[in-house]
Amino acid sequence: MREKATTLYIGPQHPGITGNMMVRLKIEGDTIVKATTEVGYLHRAFEKLQEKRNWLQSFTLMCRFCVPETDPMEELYARAVETIEGREVPERAKYIRVMVLELARLASFMLWYGGQNGSLGLYTMGQWSVGDRNYILDLFEELTGGRVYHMYIWPGGVRRDLPKGFEQKVLKTMDYLEKRLDDYDDLMFDNAIFKKRTKGVGIVDKETAIEHGVVGPVLRGCGIRSDIRIDDPYEVYDKLDFIVPTQEGADIWARALVRRQEARQSIRIIRQVIDMMPGGPVYNKIPNPQKWTLPKGDAYVRVESVRGEVGLYAASDGGLNPRRIHVRGAAYVHAITLLEDVLVGENIADVSAIMNSLGTCPPEIER
Amino acid sequence: MINDKNSQKIADFIKNWARKHSIWVLAYGTGCGAIEIPPTMTSRYDAERLGVRGAATPRQADVLLITGYLTTKTLKRVIRVYEQMQDPKYVIGFGSCTINGGMYYDSYNTIKVLDKYLPVDVYINGCMPRPEAVLAGFGKLQQLIAEGKANGAQKYKDDHEYYRGNLRKIIGNKYEMPLYNW
Amino acid sequence: MKEIKADLISKIKASFDNVTEKDYDGNRLDFHVETRIIPQILTYLKVNLGYIHLSHISCVDWLEDGEFEIVYIVWSPEDKLKVFIKTRIDRETGVLPNIDMIWRQANTYERELKEMFGIEVDGLVAADEFLLEDWEGLPPMRRDFDTEAYADETFWHRPGREDAMDVREAIIERSREEIPDFAKKYSR
Repeated sequence: MREKATTLYIGPQHPGITGNMMVRLKIEGDTIVKATTEVGYLHRAFEKLQEKRNWLQSFTLMCRFCVPETDPMEELYARAVETIEGREVPERAKYIRVMVLELARLASFMLWYGGQNGSLGLYTMGQWSVGDRNYILDLFEELTGGRVYHMYIWPGGVRRDLPKGFEQKVLKTMDYLEKRLDDYDDLMFDNAIFKKRTKGVGIVDKETAIEHGVVGPVLRGCGIRSDIRIDDPYEVYDKLDFIVPTQEGADIWARALVRRQEARQSIRIIRQVIDMMPGGPVYNKIPNPQKWTLPKGDAYVRVESVRGEVGLYAASDGGLNPRRIHVRGAAYVHAITLLEDVLVGENIADVSAIMNSLGTCPPEIER
Repeated sequence: MINDKNSQKIADFIKNWARKHSIWVLAYGTGCGAIEIPPTMTSRYDAERLGVRGAATPRQADVLLITGYLTTKTLKRVIRVYEQMQDPKYVIGFGSCTINGGMYYDSYNTIKVLDKYLPVDVYINGCMPRPEAVLAGFGKLQQLIAEGKANGAQKYKDDHEYYRGNLRKIIGNKYEMPLYNW
Repeated sequence: MKEIKADLISKIKASFDNVTEKDYDGNRLDFHVETRIIPQILTYLKVNLGYIHLSHISCVDWLEDGEFEIVYIVWSPEDKLKVFIKTRIDRETGVLPNIDMIWRQANTYERELKEMFGIEVDGLVAADEFLLEDWEGLPPMRRDFDTEAYADETFWHRPGREDAMDVREAIIERSREEIPDFAKKYSR
């Protein structure tokens, strides 16, 4: 007997820990037959506002694009401006940037640990990993003055040099977090419930991934080795030694394994960067921001965030303000067309786990 | 039942004391501020020791935490959610953008002054407010509740036409809001 | 990288007319093409040349020229080369061909172009609204839409911002409080 289809709304009140968006599901019994996403609850019109601000003022809006991971956005803007203008960045600033970016990745992985488990009802992990994330935010606070919004990586370098003894503090925190990651493994990857709930759920296979332009851990979870840090290296990533993990499973479990290894690789990169960090200036001074113009031209730069490739297209018309700033979020691709396709045939209870696993981040979609 | 002044006073004291120690927050993060809620709730800052904890649905919640800017699209849902909540209910405005628009002062899609649309009891400023600031905001709310001054819900009932009129000015007549019937 | 670029330019020029290229430092190459051949050139790049990843679709409003510039950015994992396909359409009458059968995610970009710039996309199948709800009037990302005037007209502003005073000056003037010495050097 064919059951009657019912409509079910998930959201806009935080489905999982991802942010405000709505998924309209058509269900038959427990199975989803059609999914439609509705976004726009967080649209702040950043890209319009940036056309009205000068090049330095629009930088401060940049980090608000994606709240869980703010530094890649600053890096994008800084590098886009440097590419258009042809501005050199001091060598030390590049190393500091990589360190900050990897710390941000690690902080974001911690939040993902909490979100992915919280979406399956395993709340202990959230208490652990979000609590431990505070240690990274403490480092950010000492370095930049802010816990969440740093505005540290800016055009021409970084805003200020590392405080005295900061490297040792970072290394100490890394030692602690590395131990904690093993604890997380016991709680998460040895957990029979987690295994059962994630294996074979939310499958994104290779063909779908190519067709949808999937990036990041989702792409690596289906066996394709792709990472912007290797393919299109920026800053000093070409000098560093790290591996890009892949898995064949293409389900939530495989993507969780990829992220588990990536968090460890981030710690490895941070240690290398601190070891290799040269001395020297950290900031190539920009002119008076009120009169700072960029030559006419455009640039497209990309960064590997935890969700995958995040890009920024910037165009300048030679004036005081940006002509166009356009961010391409990883979630922009994952959370709309891909999510709609992946959800079909899945269970209602797995929706928020799938959303978390695909790296949904509504502020990045809506900007 | 209670008709003399002194017993009323004692009853109010007990009522407010009980309300003060069980602030359940609706888990509806409307903006960026939602990122500082998990740290506030988890092990380091542990807001639960003050009686602050998350509630899944509007019917169970006491506090609506507006964590940041409200876009016009969210505003309709938030007001709907607020009207679904049951007494006692309080509103906390979280972040600079709820106070005066913050850095979105010229954005076409966000509201600038939250207390035109919802009766705000406590504002927490900053972009983004730290977990300590959030805890201080909850402390202030507790103090107001204990003193019986957190009467935003009563204000909303009394001046309902004012708040609804302000909402209408933005959303026009295209979006149907159901009647508010307590 | 030089050989890859030269090879790509010759292949594209052999297959399509009216293509002008612009070379940049690093792994970037631009092609300016006519609007009508966009689906063909993207299919050719994807199927024959290995540019399997559509990285971005962006739009710049050149109000003074009366044109939109649409930028398609594709990426090849083998060549490690970013290719920009640029085309210009008229601001009022221009119609963009639909490419969401080549890459599914292009659908999202096209919905945004339609809503934010008011660009007609030929044969786009999607829901009407994307980010905005009940929006009337000029599409907001157009250059001639004044967001500040719209905000002033639609929303309330809390008084206190209009004088655009420095915070430190405001503190001195309103509360007669002395600012500390270390803060004085940052005064305007």
